[in-house]
Amino acid sequence: MSTNEVGLSRGRKLTLTALLTFIAIVWIIPMAMALLSSFRYFEADTLQNGPFSWPETLTLDNYREAWRVGEIPRHFWNTMFITIPALLLILLLSSMLAFACTRFSWKFNVFFLVLFTAGNLMPQQVIFQPLFQIFKKTPWPDFLSDTNTGYLLGTKVAVILIHVAFQTGFCTFVLSNYMKTIPKELGEAAMVDGASVWRQYWQIILPLCRPAFAALATLEFTWLYNDFFWGNVLLQQGDQKPITSSISVLNGQYASDYNLIAAASMMIALPTLAVYLALQKQFISGLTLGANKG
Amino acid sequence: MSGNYESSPSPSEVGFSLVSRRTLLAGAAAVGGAVVLAACGDDSEGSEGTSGGTETTAAGGGGDTGEVSFGSNYSDEKPKAAMQAALDATGLSVKVNTVDHNTYQEQFNTYIQQPDDVVCWFAGYRMRAFAGKGVVGDISDVWEGLGDMSDGFKNASTGLDGKQYFVPFYFYPWAIHYRRSLFEEKGYEVPTTWDDLLALCEKMKADGITPFSAANDGGWPQMGMFDMINLRTNGYDFHVSLMGGKESWTDDKVKKVFENWSTILDYYQPDVNGRTWQDAATALGNKETGMYLLGTFVTSNFDPATDPAAQEIIDDIDFFAFPEIDPAHGQDAVEAPIDGFMMAKSPKNDAGARALLGALGAAASIDAYLAVDPSSVAANSAAKTDGYSALQKKSAELVGSAKYIAQFLDRDTDPDFAAKVVGKALQDFLSDPTTIDTVLATVEEQKQTYTFE
Repeated sequence: MSTNEVGLSRGRKLTLTALLTFIAIVWIIPMAMALLSSFRYFEADTLQNGPFSWPETLTLDNYREAWRVGEIPRHFWNTMFITIPALLLILLLSSMLAFACTRFSWKFNVFFLVLFTAGNLMPQQVIFQPLFQIFKKTPWPDFLSDTNTGYLLGTKVAVILIHVAFQTGFCTFVLSNYMKTIPKELGEAAMVDGASVWRQYWQIILPLCRPAFAALATLEFTWLYNDFFWGNVLLQQGDQKPITSSISVLNGQYASDYNLIAAASMMIALPTLAVYLALQKQFISGLTLGANKG
Repeated sequence: MSGNYESSPSPSEVGFSLVSRRTLLAGAAAVGGAVVLAACGDDSEGSEGTSGGTETTAAGGGGDTGEVSFGSNYSDEKPKAAMQAALDATGLSVKVNTVDHNTYQEQFNTYIQQPDDVVCWFAGYRMRAFAGKGVVGDISDVWEGLGDMSDGFKNASTGLDGKQYFVPFYFYPWAIHYRRSLFEEKGYEVPTTWDDLLALCEKMKADGITPFSAANDGGWPQMGMFDMINLRTNGYDFHVSLMGGKESWTDDKVKKVFENWSTILDYYQPDVNGRTWQDAATALGNKETGMYLLGTFVTSNFDPATDPAAQEIIDDIDFFAFPEIDPAHGQDAVEAPIDGFMMAKSPKNDAGARALLGALGAAASIDAYLAVDPSSVAANSAAKTDGYSALQKKSAELVGSAKYIAQFLDRDTDPDFAAKVVGKALQDFLSDPTTIDTVLATVEEQKQTYTFE
């Protein structure tokens, strides 16, 4: 009987391994194909022999070409110009909010928490039209942006604002769950010692939230970096677009060189990959942070 | 250049087939040449605009135009270089905002709400829709300086209010293509009237040749036939009005179009709806068929790089204007999608924008453009033609002499209405011509859901 059980579980194990291997391969194929394609000539090789053939020669030409034509450095700078300020603002604002909603009990703290987290449930695209009109009509001094449109529309500030508005909800949710796990007594002790609310927030709670910040920052960085929609619709100048939407310039009018696009995609994906590999632990804990109350 | 288009291709997408190795080299040489041309343009040609500004930089002086911003969808390398040459030739200080052509077109609705001073766009309904909404600027005064543009181009640049909102740059025409050698061999004459055409079809049929190459894969190629028969039967004004949603599709005039069409359906290749335009073009190349109504991009189906016989076919292909049906309209209209420019409603640099539009409409800038990318035909009649192929020369003549220029059905009406309603209706008609009454009633019914601005 026991042998039977072992056999069964071994069989199960095998099936499971086979299944997981299969799924892993299915997942890896598009990535691997894109990587391989990015090193091949398109017209002379891929187009003649098909994408699943063995490459005739390997080359870095696609990378050089994509770097030059796609103006990768400029668009990368655009993305950073949006991502980093947005990220800092999001973490600052959401931590304040989470602090106020979890560390104090007042009349509307639950209401506000729900309000902010409920915002996550709304698909962002839904409010594109009204937002577009608001931005179009909101004057914005040119010295506060690097694009002189005179209005919020078309500036990177507009994109930053939208990211802050939308991501603050999720971050508040995660941070408030985390802050709830910090013993109440810490705050009470600080209060007895005469620490102001600001001091409790800045010197006691924030340092304790460091793991949550690391996780959120990693997660949010990739989300903001990968944003395609807002950067694409709000910025009208081709050279202002973030890196994710800039890639479309490589799409030829007559025919597309897919290997060139693959090379650009690889370069664009690299920073998020690097962040993921370097901060893997935080990334995974970030995904599960909001999952339980700890 | 072997794309399967979902809608009729733009002039910038197809152009004229000149892609033999020889012309490629010539093109590369021309990039260098354009720089020289542009340098020449600085002091003379650029000043033909309205404000007369000859400044090359933003710093004041005579016409003082300052920097003009220019929204461009010329994103591929060669057209981009060509457009830069054209802009340089204007002698004005221009800041170019290049957005890839797909994004540009898809997001034009939002882009035009915060546009650059001058923007690239298309003539006809697509321009009129924006002119009608008041989001682009009236440039009638610029047109006073565009003496080299024919009436046809002016009409195609005119909004429903009679003002001009568009400056044409280049185009390609639709016409009936044939192989000159076949016509010579069999002694066929180019038909100029509907009866001539029917007689010619009979002759071809007797000779064992299918008179018409016919394709409709993608739903757009046969729109050209509808357009031409409508333009010849009912005239340009009715056509525009019908496209603008102002006429009833169950009108007898529309029925008449399909009656006329039915008379030549017997001469079509069978099973039109499933055939790609390339396959139909191949049949014309093989002399299996006698005639083919399509844009001049038909020659791009033949690639000398892969097929040694292709160059001979390309050189042998000629075209003629669609024959007259009603003498009241003669052959006064031609179909030719035009690419060009519009002005923002309230450009930051108004004088500069007008000067730039005037200069882009002048021969110098299109000459500079064609020097880099020779596969288009200039709208300006004073443009240099020595680099043209025979087909390009003929295109320039055909369209230049036309009184009216239609833009092709999917550019002359709401694009969605064109594809989903009219395109579908034409497919239904072609698969069973006897159902035309129900087909037209359906179009009229579905038309009600479109606003046609």
